[in-house]
Amino acid sequence: MATRKARMRFAIKRFKGFWNQFKKSKRGITGLSIITFFVVLAIFAPLIAPYAPMDPKKDEDKYPVQTTPPRIAEKLCAPTWYKYLPWIPRGLTQVEELFWTDIIELGDASFLKFGRLEVTDIETLTSKETFDKYRGNVTSSYIELSKAAAGTPHLQLIFPNGTIKDVEVPEEWWTSKSPAVLGGEVGSPAYVSMRSFVYDLREKFGEDLTYIAFKVNYNYSRDLTENMELVPDFQFSSNQTFNEEWDWTTLTGSARLRYNSLEGVDKDGCIEITYSPKAGENESKVVLKKQFKYPYYEPPLSFWGHISLRVQGGPVSLVVTVQKEGEESITILKLRQSEQETYFHKVISSFADEVKQVSGSLSPEKAILPSPGDYIFAIEVVFNGEDDTTVYLDDVNLLLYGNTFGLLGTDNAAGSSYPRDIFSTLVYGTRVSLIVGILSALFGTLIGLFLGLVSGYVGGIVDEIIMRVADLFLVLPTLPLFIILVVALKLVYGIVSMWNIILVLTLFGWMGFARSVRSMVLSLRERPFVEAAKAAGAGRFYIINRHILPNVFALVYITLATSVPGAIITEASLSWLGLGDPRIPSWGKLLYDFQTSGIAVTKGLTEYWFWMFPACIAIALLAMAFILIGYALDEILNPRLRMRR
Amino acid sequence: MGLKEYIAKRIVYSIILIFAVLTVNFLIFAMMPGDPLRQYMARVELATTQEQYQMLREQLGLDKPLHQKYVEYLGRMLTWNFGKGMIGGGVDVTSQIMQRLPNTLILMGTSAVLSIIAGVLIGALVATKRGSWFDTTMVTGSLLTYSVPIFFIGWLMIFFFAVQLKWFPIGGVEPRIWGRNPPTSLIEFLAGRISCLVLPTITLFLFSVGGWILLSRACILETITEDYVVTAKAKGLRERTILYKHILKNASLPLITNVAMTFGFLISGAIITETLFTYNGMGLLIWDAMRGGPAPDLPTLQAIFYIISLCVIVANFIADLLYGIIDPRIKYR
Repeated sequence: MATRKARMRFAIKRFKGFWNQFKKSKRGITGLSIITFFVVLAIFAPLIAPYAPMDPKKDEDKYPVQTTPPRIAEKLCAPTWYKYLPWIPRGLTQVEELFWTDIIELGDASFLKFGRLEVTDIETLTSKETFDKYRGNVTSSYIELSKAAAGTPHLQLIFPNGTIKDVEVPEEWWTSKSPAVLGGEVGSPAYVSMRSFVYDLREKFGEDLTYIAFKVNYNYSRDLTENMELVPDFQFSSNQTFNEEWDWTTLTGSARLRYNSLEGVDKDGCIEITYSPKAGENESKVVLKKQFKYPYYEPPLSFWGHISLRVQGGPVSLVVTVQKEGEESITILKLRQSEQETYFHKVISSFADEVKQVSGSLSPEKAILPSPGDYIFAIEVVFNGEDDTTVYLDDVNLLLYGNTFGLLGTDNAAGSSYPRDIFSTLVYGTRVSLIVGILSALFGTLIGLFLGLVSGYVGGIVDEIIMRVADLFLVLPTLPLFIILVVALKLVYGIVSMWNIILVLTLFGWMGFARSVRSMVLSLRERPFVEAAKAAGAGRFYIINRHILPNVFALVYITLATSVPGAIITEASLSWLGLGDPRIPSWGKLLYDFQTSGIAVTKGLTEYWFWMFPACIAIALLAMAFILIGYALDEILNPRLRMRR
Repeated sequence: MGLKEYIAKRIVYSIILIFAVLTVNFLIFAMMPGDPLRQYMARVELATTQEQYQMLREQLGLDKPLHQKYVEYLGRMLTWNFGKGMIGGGVDVTSQIMQRLPNTLILMGTSAVLSIIAGVLIGALVATKRGSWFDTTMVTGSLLTYSVPIFFIGWLMIFFFAVQLKWFPIGGVEPRIWGRNPPTSLIEFLAGRISCLVLPTITLFLFSVGGWILLSRACILETITEDYVVTAKAKGLRERTILYKHILKNASLPLITNVAMTFGFLISGAIITETLFTYNGMGLLIWDAMRGGPAPDLPTLQAIFYIISLCVIVANFIADLLYGIIDPRIKYR
């Protein structure tokens, strides 16, 4: 017992001595704190990450099980804090675009073509040479704006001699569909066909028309929008919120509306509308309304609504509309429902064809919320017939998906219909990198240690075989080999798992260390203390365990620390190449999703930098932390590198 | 043991290694699951009847026993007859490699030479000023580049120099606007090619220079404490003479092995860098062979693998010879 205690005391003392030295190394402390940070992140990921890293769903448990739960946000959202960046444009933005025109004669017919001029300085357009230089490709046979215009665009003509003349374009020429947004589909760029106008001009100016530029000034709206939930308390779980936030009107006295706290999908409260027609009456209507403010110039990216209803008695019609104050209301749902035992659950998605049809727009989200202002969300329940009817309404909600979300935005939802919160994926990804990095370094080092000890101490043919295999493994090209092995494993198992990657990394991570252990053992073997032990009758195992291992162990720590970063980076690189585990959130997967998202590199790097740069930085930080620790250990434990004082 | 015997021993050893590599190369691909012919047909979009399929199988010798296949494989590899790959609907593998090899050699060669020169010089400078702020920053900086994944460096390069500043093209071997007719004037041609080379070269340079700095620093620090350096100092030799004549020469020994290894791995290319910059070299060839279709292109991969390993073995052999010639302490064991 006493010896064990003494040994313990000695170990503690030695560790204290080591720690005192380690404390002085700035690099070591930096590395250690970074690793601690990431380990905390990995362990407490469920607490730190606000959403699930894979297929996150919003309020999954709150909606009835029959409903597919909604997404947390739209694809490719920007971070929420973008709104604090002053240089991100929002509100009405003025745009100026220049177009050139040309008339091509082909036989008897003449064609007109327009193209956008990528010039910002009008001065350069006043000479024919520069005009020719800047003339780009033909885009279309009309002037097409690159953004959706808010308000009527303003058209000007620039003549070769530099004079500028205003042109009155009849409003109808800008093909218009909505009073708020001009041109084509609501919210899409406006265009104007100027065919007759240009031919008219040519009569006046002759061939010089080629050198006339059209300048269009217009406003377009652009904004950073956030997710909005119209009915946060969508289960109508309290009478009070319903009374405060909702308004209702009934057409005739025979229809009544009240809050029923005993009914509902989960029997936890719902809206109950009863209709008991008087004799001769066969129609009535109840309208439920909620007012809300839409604060953005930009329509939401999409919307998702939900309604659950149960009908007792005769059939009912249900109409859900959204109306901007002072404008026409736009229907997003029309439903006819007859009596049924259970609740009917309906999802109103802006992507659904029926919603597009009923709203009369290909992008309903733009049609219902074109600009900031006061809006009314209304549910109309229309009763027909002479039966007593009761309607229960529950789980009513409307989610408006904005273009900003969370700390780092969302990804493009590759391989799933649920966009992921990038920050959550980043937090959870720490786990994979730490596990793969540490485990494969640990296994590789242990194998290297074992083979090095055996090779160095046993010698002979065993030594020869181990060293030649090591040579062979060192000659094989690493990354191509990894790729081939991972692909082979993928072919065998159908999917790449994290353990496959650890296996491959371990298999090719022992050679260098085995070599250095061997050379160290070779020199230790000849030392007097080993000879003394041999003379005293110590066995092989005893000598290795007691005399050689302790001397090699400093090297083990250093190698462990320095081989983790290699493993982390190789894992990330393999994932980047698409050879990672697709089922687990990892930094490499994040990067792979970015790489394969189909977004052009230029756009991806400027507009979606928050998608992959944080992951890159995290990989670099974690790898560097281990290198720093390895470096600090090297300086403390490696006697040759110790500073001479 | 004389030099001749030493060389002979190394040659025999290298040949054994080549055969070992050939065997591993054969075994990896032989153990790949799936029917290679079916994969091949899926890849080149070849539809056959069952009879034609059987005939093809016999023709290609796919039904032969493993040892017979191995012998045939050895024959093909040793005579550099790699057959037809799957890329581009069955183009000759050798011509595929020959077409892309120069691109990779230019890219990797330039970046390797630059990073070795810069790394060794900076490493030497830093080692002589050990403990100074310059040393600390350079070492920390090297550790940083050492730990940053290469695609991060590449993305940063593209972001700053191709997207923001628009100084260099985003990728490719030659400017996109050339299309099918490159300029006739030599200067314009070279300028276009070089402008495409700059970003991948800098990326690879930044990626590897840190390692060279640390390595040469460590080597020099090791020799700086040797007795003969102390003796040289005691003799009153100039600092610079000691650095170049005594320290660098001795410290260069481990560096040589690493340089040889670098050049050995030169043609394996930088798969990630080339993929990132869509630089049409060996790395992209490996990538295309791996992923550009429904199944991996095994003949191409096998050939590339063999050639890369061969280069590494030859480079190692040369390093061993140089080692023997430069270091008189090695008595050609």
